[in-house]
Amino acid sequence: MSQPVFTADEAHALARVLDAVLPPSEDGRLPGAGALGIAGAIEGAVRRSPDLGVALRAGLAALETLARHRGPGGFEALAPPEREAALRELAAEQPGFLPGLLFHAYAAYYQHPRVLEGLGLEPRPPHPKGYEMRESDLALLDAVRRRPALHRKC
Amino acid sequence: MREEPVDVVIVGAGAAGAALAWRLAETRMNVLCLEQGDWMDPSQYPSTRLDWEMRAFGDFGLSPNSRGRPEDYPVNDSESPIAVSNFNAVGGSTILYAAHFPRFHPSDFKVKTLDGVADDWPLDYARLEPYYDQNARMMGVAGLAGDPAYPAKEPPLPPVPLGKLGETLARGFDRLGWHWWPSDSAIATRPYEGRAACIHLGPCLSGCAQGAKASTDLTYWPVALRRGVRLQTRCRVREITVRPDGMADGVIYFDADGVERKQRAEIVVLACNGVGTPRLLLNSKSSLFPDGLANRSGLVGRNLMFHPYALVRGVFEEPLEGYKGPTGCCIMSQEFYETDAARGFVRGYSFEMLRGMGPVSTALWGLSSGQVAWGSEHHRDYAALFDRTAGMVAICEDLPEPENRVTLDPELTDAHGIPAPKIHYRLSENSQRMLAHSVERAKEALEAAGARKTSAHAPLRAAGWHLMGTARMGRDPERSVVNEWGRCHDVRNLFIVDGSLFVTAAAVNPTNTLQALALYVGDTMHKNLSNLFD
Repeated sequence: MSQPVFTADEAHALARVLDAVLPPSEDGRLPGAGALGIAGAIEGAVRRSPDLGVALRAGLAALETLARHRGPGGFEALAPPEREAALRELAAEQPGFLPGLLFHAYAAYYQHPRVLEGLGLEPRPPHPKGYEMRESDLALLDAVRRRPALHRKC
Repeated sequence: MREEPVDVVIVGAGAAGAALAWRLAETRMNVLCLEQGDWMDPSQYPSTRLDWEMRAFGDFGLSPNSRGRPEDYPVNDSESPIAVSNFNAVGGSTILYAAHFPRFHPSDFKVKTLDGVADDWPLDYARLEPYYDQNARMMGVAGLAGDPAYPAKEPPLPPVPLGKLGETLARGFDRLGWHWWPSDSAIATRPYEGRAACIHLGPCLSGCAQGAKASTDLTYWPVALRRGVRLQTRCRVREITVRPDGMADGVIYFDADGVERKQRAEIVVLACNGVGTPRLLLNSKSSLFPDGLANRSGLVGRNLMFHPYALVRGVFEEPLEGYKGPTGCCIMSQEFYETDAARGFVRGYSFEMLRGMGPVSTALWGLSSGQVAWGSEHHRDYAALFDRTAGMVAICEDLPEPENRVTLDPELTDAHGIPAPKIHYRLSENSQRMLAHSVERAKEALEAAGARKTSAHAPLRAAGWHLMGTARMGRDPERSVVNEWGRCHDVRNLFIVDGSLFVTAAAVNPTNTLQALALYVGDTMHKNLSNLFD
């Protein structure tokens, strides 16, 4: 079995960050990314790109330091608006932290079956079921059909 | 180690190589095709898995430089605003193409006569027309007769459904009084010649798991193989060899185990397209051909043409069901195809409508374009985009310029140590003016269709999938590499049948035309077998 990419504390913090960048929707149909387990996909991405792991670990540590200026309980203890504010502060100070995280988080989140269901889609790949499409309204072409030839005679 | 000689060796099993192999099977010659890629397994295509969208960033990416497949060769395109896209497999780039399948216009073969630029082709639309028809039957083209942008033609299959997205855009074109028409598409809209009907999966650009899209591993190759053509995969050709009299005598290649082999042949045919073909010719230097084979004109690799693309997306208020249906096959417009001097450029462009994006693509486009925030506003932003986007691409005609070219990179090589191609390319003033014009017209069309906002990107760097002009055809050996039926002026048993032949690029996807050319070359070879090298 491979070594964990993150320590238990880092993994916990990463899940909270994921819930802040991709929070649950207000109507409850879409879960937060942390609660959904998207951290596992981020770990997979770090295994493929170790540089991403370096940036994430540094960012998580810096975020905790910033959060402790906002309250003694650190990021974990902050209310959602405060978490978002702390993340924006970090993004300004360490512009390399969020882009890589967001790319992988968005990608993993929007292929998760629960999110697809929340969007009103069937939680499946396109094949083999495919999609029904309605018959085309080719009467829309009537005006085009009346036009003279567009191509030049040669 | 030497192999038994064959009558014909074809290098490359993509769009053109497959069509030629099928045509030459009729001649009863001993035909062998060498392909550096392998057969694909459609059951493993991305659309069979939930991570289908992300695989376009990985093993089904467009660029050989990032794809990481062992059969790919690198391309140094760092000095070009347009990056090369291709695919190496049986079927070649038809595995990944959109299957948007228009023909050239008659005027495309007469640009010097009509517009005073570039050169006329040594053949015309009428000469190619029967081969377009033959190719339509073999590939299974879906479309609708009666398009005023073309001479009469009868696609064998009914058109791909417009869908809500297509009808929405069509209404926009109707409001402006602009031409549009259901796209000619190499997609089986009904069961056709053993292929299943399209079930509107969406991601055609990463292979069709349904087998409805006409990639040549499903169309020409099965028939060609049944008729006796042989195809060896994972064989990478290093060079074409010549006899003392200057005629080609075969090729040297590396087989699947990396063993160097020599294949002798009476006739050598290149079908490696606009970058692979000049690369192979330039890598085939000898004392007789010190500047590369068939290059006495100095034109091998020169006059590289892409199609500069503009991509314009619109965001609509209502859901468009845009994730249903073939990505690149919906409707097209040729309102701005033919030259109009008042526009400030010569020649013109096509519009090809794109379906919408899947869930992941929407999120990542929203992220990169700043339209989908992270945090508390995320779901509001995402909901405003998902299934509410439609795209248009303008396919602009590129004019041939000698400075736009393929050379050999002095350092970069593939896994077999063969020098890799290097792309030298800049956008002409004409292309830049055309792109700017197309962006404004696309915004106008999307707004007429109801888009509440639009965004544009031009030129589209990743869109270097049309590779043309680097061994062009013509009657004058000083001004062309091959004659009017694909035979090299300098080496009379060496033929070329891919996009390299193109004299000009037109403003449509080239696959249909390069396949029609391959059928025409094969037909001409067959008719002239008794005096083929005279």
